[in-house]
Formats: sequence, structure tokens, C-alpha cells
Amino acid sequence: MSHDSERSISSDESDPQQIRRLLDHMAEALEQNEVPLEILNNEAIYQRELSQIFGQTWTYIGHVSEIPEPGDYRQRTIGEDPFIFTRDENGEIRVLFNSCRHRGANVCRAEKGNTTHFRCPYHGWTYQNTGDLVGVPQKGDGFDHLDADDHSLHEAPHVDEYNGLVFACIAPDAQPLEEYLGGATWYLDMYFDLIDMEVIGDPHRWVVDADWKTPTENFYGDNYHVPMGHKSAIDVGIGSETATGEQESELYGIADCDGHAFSVYQIESEEPMFWGHPEEVVETFNHDVLSPEQYEVARKSGVTLGSIFPNLSFIFLGGRDDPNKDPVGTFCLRQWQPRGPGEMEVWNWILAPADASTEYKERVYEVGMSTFSVSGNFEADDIGIWDGIDEAAGSVFAERVEATTQFTMGTGEEAAATVDDDWAGPGTAYANGGLTDENQLDFYRTWHETMVNEGAE
Amino acid sequence: MQEDQIPNRVTLQHECEQFLYHAAALLDDRRLNEWHELVTDDISYRVPIRTTRERASDTEFSDTSYHMKEDWDTLKVRTERMASDFAWSEDPPSRTRRQVSNVRITDSSDDEIELTNNLVIVQSRKSETEPDLLSMKRHETLRRDEDGYAPEWINGPGLKLAEREVLLDHTVIPTSSLSIIL
Ligand code: FES
Ligand SMILES: [Fe+2]
Repeated sequence: MSHDSERSISSDESDPQQIRRLLDHMAEALEQNEVPLEILNNEAIYQRELSQIFGQTWTYIGHVSEIPEPGDYRQRTIGEDPFIFTRDENGEIRVLFNSCRHRGANVCRAEKGNTTHFRCPYHGWTYQNTGDLVGVPQKGDGFDHLDADDHSLHEAPHVDEYNGLVFACIAPDAQPLEEYLGGATWYLDMYFDLIDMEVIGDPHRWVVDADWKTPTENFYGDNYHVPMGHKSAIDVGIGSETATGEQESELYGIADCDGHAFSVYQIESEEPMFWGHPEEVVETFNHDVLSPEQYEVARKSGVTLGSIFPNLSFIFLGGRDDPNKDPVGTFCLRQWQPRGPGEMEVWNWILAPADASTEYKERVYEVGMSTFSVSGNFEADDIGIWDGIDEAAGSVFAERVEATTQFTMGTGEEAAATVDDDWAGPGTAYANGGLTDENQLDFYRTWHETMVNEGAE
Repeated sequence: MQEDQIPNRVTLQHECEQFLYHAAALLDDRRLNEWHELVTDDISYRVPIRTTRERASDTEFSDTSYHMKEDWDTLKVRTERMASDFAWSEDPPSRTRRQVSNVRITDSSDDEIELTNNLVIVQSRKSETEPDLLSMKRHETLRRDEDGYAPEWINGPGLKLAEREVLLDHTVIPTSSLSIIL
């Protein structure tokens, strides 16, 4: 992939001028339910995203099941910054900065493993997996003045877990995670508390010529693209029954949910739906942890997708990899990692109910992988389409005409999408949720608010 | 090895290479259906996820997570989809050139041949001048089959692909999607 040729043009404006112009333009455009195209490939905007978004908000690190034993570790990034996600010998989860306090070398060089200590390969400083500096070669002769307590590995100042999902925030001050997730917890409880989920194996990782905001916007609730964008997969018979319309359902778009958003297909039926999980798997769920309203939504759930600001998304669906096999409930959790303006790296984890049979988990994996992954029959086409947005966004012409993208669906007089006041959960629920852009607007409004937030600097 | 087996060995090596080249050409030429006809009903096709590990670790390859883990039916779904006019990842199609090399037979019986080989795929899209490169080793099992591929000079059954394990050199896949067969 030739990245360099697609970097955005730099006009004669300075970076702060450019950022101001674009964020001002964005404020006006959002009034019209539009978004400046340029933000999808602009170096100055990208640098500000790294500090203002990824440097300020809670971001996803990993799932507890990825590091089950003391000493287990995995390398992770916050924005582009290198961290070690580890469980120390006391069982505590830590997010350590992967850089030696001596001269900055990476102390952890494998993607995953198990260790009690990280020994720096440069001069041999050694840290416990708690981050504590416990060994300095020739300390007595050369570093007798050094206070080891002041030279632990740096760690993310805020690390917290919600139902097994571990998040970190590198800003000095952070609101509590649960407050940050806000109304989203009501939904996350259905996927991660009702069900004890576990990650299967290692994530898919791949690089894509698209800005991280493009798939995030899509997973905030672009249900409009499915019939066209995924026609090839639907034609070969592997579309989920709710998405293809074989199974009658109502799609609710959940917006105004503290910056996060969900799309929830509800199937009116006496039968338990639970995203396509069969009875013997549903039996393993924690049936008493939800409120009756949450439980009812879970019971009627077909395909469900959503995103947690800034860059964590998921899709939960009763899917198939073969029209002749039974659908299974598969859960793909994905993080759109910023890797430059108009460039990202996708991380995709597949999760299954921990108490299901080994065979069932294998099927969950296979179906997840063949639907949403680098080889996913659905995902490949999304990505094929997104490739090229970055070039248009970084163009001189986009700047000249102040090109925008449109989020006006469902704002006309005859709009089919309507607010359902009876919806039990947090946020504003739009019935006919496939015909409104409110979810995606929420993403861009939250993005804009976070980007202009001077207090956070 | 008996001396009188040497010509057989050379012939078998040549035959296997011809099969691999033929199968690679079908994929490069986008003749996906014809390629699919050369896999056995019980094919096992796997591309395990690789991670960067310490030298001391037993393996870099996952035994639970894969980029592809296919049987005959799911390969059928994939090849049909990739050939669709609505498969936006492959329409316009990418241009691929597969370089198969280092073919080594590791075991053989009358029925089956196990071998390893290296594969480099040069993949170009749109007007890009720097192609994506995919580099890998493959372990495979070829099986004698009446409907298999046989060069003209072979009397008797040709070969089909019964098993393929693709060991990628990548931990992060450098292409925006894997919408081709490896
Ligand atoms: S940089 Fe780590 S010991 Fe010197
Ligand atoms: Fe999609």
C-alpha cells in the first residue's frame, strides 16, 4: 500500500489556522447535518486528534480474557502510543508505557507472552510486571544516587474495567469510566454481563487506506449501506436473516447516548432470539443480572451493532459462513486504530460465550472470521469501498469547494424514522433506524466537542 | 531410496510443481470456479494468525484464531462471492501474480503427497505503482483423484488439493483485505 502519495496537501495556512478553519467549518456544517470532507485526511487535524481525542478520552485496551493468568501480557496502543496490557503477579491489571525509564527502549518486544519481569535489552534495567524498577546493572558503582521508586515504568494514569472490557485514559484527569460510558452501560450489560464473554485467540490486524473515522462513522449506525455495499455476500446467501428481511424486524437507532450509539434489531416473537444463540447456549447466560426491560430487549435481539467513542465498535449477529449451516451468534469487537491521516490499522477480536461448548465456540469463531475480519465476506467490501475517500478528502478541490459529507437522511417532512418514546433504554430511539443519520451525527458532534475542548489542553 | 526409484521421484516432483503452477495460474487468471474444482470435498484450508513472539516460545502461530479457516462449502461461498459484480473489494479486481517456489516433497504414498512450498503474491490495485506483497510458506497435501489436474503426459488420475496450511510472514496483513485465495 503506497501511503505517502496520499498524504493530505498542506496549504499555506499554519497548522493552528488550518485546525481553526476546519473546526469552524465543521461547527457550521453540523448545523446543516453535514461534515467537512477534509477532516478525513488532514495532517493538522490528525495530530490534534492524537492529543485531544486519544490523549484525553478513555480508549479500549483489551478484554480480561486475553490475559487470564498473572504475568500474561499483550502489546497494545493508545492512539499510536505503545503500552503493555498486563496482569501483574498480584492479579492486578496494568497498562504500562512500553519505554524504559533509562533511555526509552522498548522493554517488551513480543506481542504477547507471560513474564514476571521485563528486562530492557539496552543496558539491562529490569522491571517487575507491576512496573517497579527492580534491577539496574552496576547500580552501586554508577547509579548509587538513583531512587528506584521514582523510576518505575510509566503507566496510564487511569485504568478501569467494565464487564471485562478494559479501558485506559492517559489524561491527568479523567471522569470515572462508568460515567464516561454513561447510557452505553445499559446496552453493554446485555452483551457482557448477561453473557460471560471470552476472546478467542489473537486479534486480526491489518492496515487500511481509510481514516479511522470512516469505519467508526459506519459502525455508529450506517444501516443504509447494507443492501448495496454487501450485495455480494447477501447474494451468496450468508446475510443474517434480519438484515436481509427474511426475518421481520424493527431496527432501532439509539442516538444521544452520551456520545456512543447503537443499532438494535428487535424481532417481535414469543421465541427467545438472543442474537441467534441456540437454546443450549442461552441456558448458560446470567439471566438475573438485567432489568426486566433490558432482558426483554436482549430476548428480542437480532443483529446489534454499536460504537463507544472514540474508536471501539462491535457487531453481534446471528450469522453464517455457509447458507447450508445453522446460524450462530457471533460477536466481533473492533478497534479502528489511527495510523496517520487517512490511514488506520484494524484490530478485530472475536468473542464467544465462555460457557458454551468448545464446538460452538469454534463455530462462533469461524462465522465471525468469515463475516467481519480481513478476509470477511462482509468486511472486505466495506473496505474496498472506503479506499479512495482519503484521496478525495486530502485534495485541493475538497478544500476549494468546502466539500462536505451528508448526514441529512430522515430530516424531511415525510421521514419514516421517528422517535419511539416508549423505548425503555437510555438515549433517543429512532424506529426505522436505518433511515436516519442521527447516530452518525452523534459521533461527529462528540468528535467536534472533544476537538474544540480548550479546557482539555 | 532405491536407485530405481529416482526417476519416479523426479517425475513426482515435476508433477506436483505443475499442479501448483496450474492452480496458481487459475487464481491469477480469476478462474475461481475452476480452481475450486481442484479441491477435495474434505479440504481443510487454514491461515492461522501469526504474532511476534520471543524466540523461546513454541510457536508464533495461533491454534484457535485464523485469517481463513475453510472447508469445501465456505471456499465455494468465497469464490462465488469474489466473482460477483458486487464484490467491491474485487471489482475492479486486483491484479495478482503468484510466485511459487522451493517446492519440497516431505512425504508421499500412492494416494497422497505432502509437500511444502513458498509463495509470494504481488498484488496491485487501481493506479498504485507500489504493489502489496504477501509472503508465506505453505504446507499442503495433494491427493490422487480421477477429476484432478493432470498434465497431458500423466497416465492415470491427476491431483487435487486436500489440505493447505498457509504460514504467513505477516503479523499485520499489509493488504486492505484478503479477498483472494492464498
Ligand atoms: S534504555 Fe533501558 S536500560 Fe538503558
Ligand atoms: Fe458494512
